[in-house]
Amino acid sequence: MKHHTRAAVSVIFLIGPACALVLLVGSLWGQTGSGDSKSAQKLSASSIQIEPMDPGDVPMPPEFRVAIYENLITQIEKTGKFQHVYRSGDKEAARVPDLVMLRTTAQSFRKGSQKEREVVTVAGSSSIILKVHITDHAGQTLVDRNVEGKVRFFGENLRATYDFSKKVANIVRDTF
Amino acid sequence: MSVQNPIVNVSAAMNSFRATRARIFARGLFLLAFGAPLMFFPAPARSQAAGTGQAAPSVVQTDVKLVIGGEKIKNNSRGTLSVEGSSLQFATAKAKVEVDASSILDISTNEDSRENITGAAKVATMAIPYGGGRVLSLFSHRVDVLTLEFKDANGGYHGAIFVLPQGRAAPIKKQLVAMGAKASVPLAEPAPANK
Repeated sequence: MKHHTRAAVSVIFLIGPACALVLLVGSLWGQTGSGDSKSAQKLSASSIQIEPMDPGDVPMPPEFRVAIYENLITQIEKTGKFQHVYRSGDKEAARVPDLVMLRTTAQSFRKGSQKEREVVTVAGSSSIILKVHITDHAGQTLVDRNVEGKVRFFGENLRATYDFSKKVANIVRDTF
Repeated sequence: MSVQNPIVNVSAAMNSFRATRARIFARGLFLLAFGAPLMFFPAPARSQAAGTGQAAPSVVQTDVKLVIGGEKIKNNSRGTLSVEGSSLQFATAKAKVEVDASSILDISTNEDSRENITGAAKVATMAIPYGGGRVLSLFSHRVDVLTLEFKDANGGYHGAIFVLPQGRAAPIKKQLVAMGAKASVPLAEPAPANK
């Protein structure tokens, strides 16, 4: 009986690391494979211009509009994918031949409550959903998708705009 | 139980009252003699109407938080917000940002609330047992949020958000609008006092 238990334990100790190794190698192989396909699809542009958010019919406080814009500028600069990140209306942007444009349009907005979030936990979350539209200099669509920014547990409501901008920056990293 | 009647010297009390009245009258005459010429002295008044050629009085507000939008200044820095000359200035101990009133595309004020305990202390409250930290989240204070949208020298669009103590954003907005800043939402008229 004792001998059987010992054998079972030793088999488990062998199978466990072996499975982990197989998974690790498999995931690494998968990553390199998908990385090749991604790099083949990646686009290039020297500069990007970011337009202010279009609130559309969605009522949104001005501080959220401004926070979305400023966070987008900061996060897209941080990606390091472009030589210049131009603000809307910048005269110098007109001279750039391969300029891409980033536009955002509000789809939905829910201003939660920081107090509710931190006291109740399951209530009071803030959420913004915006359509992110990136076009090239000829007006051809490169990216067109809805992105959600939210703050669920801790932090001020404006943190949803930071979350949104981080997600847009990830999209930019994947695209360029 | 016995109650003793106090003995009051009426004549002495009357004399003291008369002396006091005479002293007050003398002081009044003295103030009138010195104050009357000052009434006609042409000293500059603070409440002079705007647009008479003199610079508008500056508005200064300390302990203002710049949430986002300070080019050289870090987000969430605290400093002094002031309207001086024809521009809005935000200064911290290390740097200063200036926005000309004529370059402001929109200025708006809003009310919000902020928790009393923030930062490292907030993290520490999470360690309080039996949900004590959650109870502390209930304590908050009202604040004013001042949002600016403006353009730089190249025409580039910028935005900045400031958090001020309650009731302090309106005078700054009023001052900036008077100096040429645009505002899509006009300043709200003060509510009539309840009788």
